Amino acid sequence: MTDPTISAAAANGGPAGSIYDIGYRRYEGTRLGRAHAIRSLFFHSLRSSYGIGRGGRAKIAPIILGVLAILPAVGIVAALTLFAQFGGGEEFNDQVPIRFDTYAGTISTIVILFCAAQAPELFGRDQRHGVLALYFARALRRSDYALARIGGFMSALLILELVPQAILFLGRVLLTPDIPKAVGDDLPSVGPVLAQSALAAGLLGGLSMVVSAFTPRRAYAVAGIIALFTIPNVVAGIVVGLGSSTIGTWLTLSSPTAILDGTNAFLFDTRLDSDFFFIDLPGIAFIGAAVVGIAGSIAITLRRFARIAT
Amino acid sequence: MPLISIRNLTKRYGGSITALDSLTVDIEPGIVGLVGSNGAGKSTLLKILLGLLGATSGEATVLDLDVRTRGTDIRQRVGYMPEHDCLPPDASATDFVSHMALISGLPRTAARERTAEVLRHVGLYEERYRAIGGYSTGMKQRVKLAQALVHDPVLLLLDEPTNGLDPSGRDEMLELIHRIGVEFKIAVIVATHLLGEIERVGSHLVAIEGGRLLRSAPLHEFVEQTGTLAVEVDEGAPSLAARLAAEGLEVVVDGRAVLVDAADERPYDLVRDAVAELGLPLVRIERRRHRLEDLFRDVPTAAVEPSGGGGQP
Repeated sequence: MTDPTISAAAANGGPAGSIYDIGYRRYEGTRLGRAHAIRSLFFHSLRSSYGIGRGGRAKIAPIILGVLAILPAVGIVAALTLFAQFGGGEEFNDQVPIRFDTYAGTISTIVILFCAAQAPELFGRDQRHGVLALYFARALRRSDYALARIGGFMSALLILELVPQAILFLGRVLLTPDIPKAVGDDLPSVGPVLAQSALAAGLLGGLSMVVSAFTPRRAYAVAGIIALFTIPNVVAGIVVGLGSSTIGTWLTLSSPTAILDGTNAFLFDTRLDSDFFFIDLPGIAFIGAAVVGIAGSIAITLRRFARIAT
Repeated sequence: MPLISIRNLTKRYGGSITALDSLTVDIEPGIVGLVGSNGAGKSTLLKILLGLLGATSGEATVLDLDVRTRGTDIRQRVGYMPEHDCLPPDASATDFVSHMALISGLPRTAARERTAEVLRHVGLYEERYRAIGGYSTGMKQRVKLAQALVHDPVLLLLDEPTNGLDPSGRDEMLELIHRIGVEFKIAVIVATHLLGEIERVGSHLVAIEGGRLLRSAPLHEFVEQTGTLAVEVDEGAPSLAARLAAEGLEVVVDGRAVLVDAADERPYDLVRDAVAELGLPLVRIERRRHRLEDLFRDVPTAAVEPSGGGGQP
């Protein structure tokens, strides 16, 4: 298909070098629609959350935080390997403090730091540099854009939560002599692990996306996200400490991390071992609060992008 | 069927500011200059045509698609280069343009191929693998153009494409626009406040002012009305004008210059004699090349800057 254009260029008496210029070619191939655009933006958001496609410096924070999130699982598996060789694995397994029902809590600080570091990159960047105008000038709707970005970020968090626990699961299962029994032991945890990770990714991801949607300036967004995840917790603690346990209990539901502690206890059927967050509330209230938080943050973000001027 | 059809299009912001005032015009394929001073309503019009902004009243179709209801379909077939910065500094041109190709609906392989091709057409070579943050303004403008072109649109909407470019960058951009329109056979609408640029690349001109249509005609019809002689004097412009008017010439005073309608050779002698007799300090006599600007100078509402600096907010 290049031949006619080459001869055309030659016929036009172009310079000798221009035979390499095959001119403009029309695109006659398939054009995929809106769904393809949404999917592409979703995966772009997911990859950007880990700094992929954004240059070396953008990868530092996600790599460090990712390694930190995996470290406990790798440590446990390493210890299990040692015990498997020298015996005593059973006792170790019973006493180790990092289990499926505690893993989400163990790495929650890392997940929060990941949110603070990466969420502002997704929404803030597009607003700061005016890229939003280019997205909206394509087949995407405004809501498509917001949902693809949120979905991509939540999925990134879900990976951050689940990969270490998958390592933990594989380690525990493969390093015991009786694999079917180990699978049987751990299988009941899979449901709660998935549910808890999804709630954590949804709630922490959703809220940090709200903050970064309204705060294009990166530094403010980072501070805002950290404040959102720590201050309610502190306030609730102080109020309970002052003796008002009723108000304190309800304030607990304004703290994302406390909500996730509650859902974790409910899903794994363990006690909340906190000093002040007391369980006048049924476990399902925490689940409810998490779901409301996730739905609310998606709704607020959609509204934000429906109105933002480009 | 015209490429773009606009009927009584009105856009008001907040009830008081009128950006477009019952604008009616048809636009045919070609390189069309959408000319007006800053705030004339050019950017607003482009956004309405893309279906990004709702009109207050009136209607418009692009490629026979209604802008109010078929915005998504329009945007799939139209490329848009905004006036302001719109590039992420930490991505490379290749990554960014191919990402935009995907968002425009191209499959992954095609997106990569088209990106390489389009970046070559706009003149970005080795540097396309470097982060955009380190680019010059000229290179950034090329990337902006490339992302608008990557999905092979039927129509390109360019908003002040030469903004911030130095003279040689400006020439290259105009050359590129000319190639896109003539060689690539893509219809182009160039919104600009610089008439001279359209004169160089355009085939048709749509002039708007205060949200209203001033004139829409093939470019040669504008340029054909040449023959304005600008006589610039340090002082005494009004008396010179009065003197020339008495001789039966069409004259307009423009600051220190007197614009004389010079259809033939006669006015030259008259101007020479008048200046000499009045003893005026003559600075220069020149034929106005950019006759297009007179279009705006003649607007009764007069609050017009024929040329000016930066863009709208």
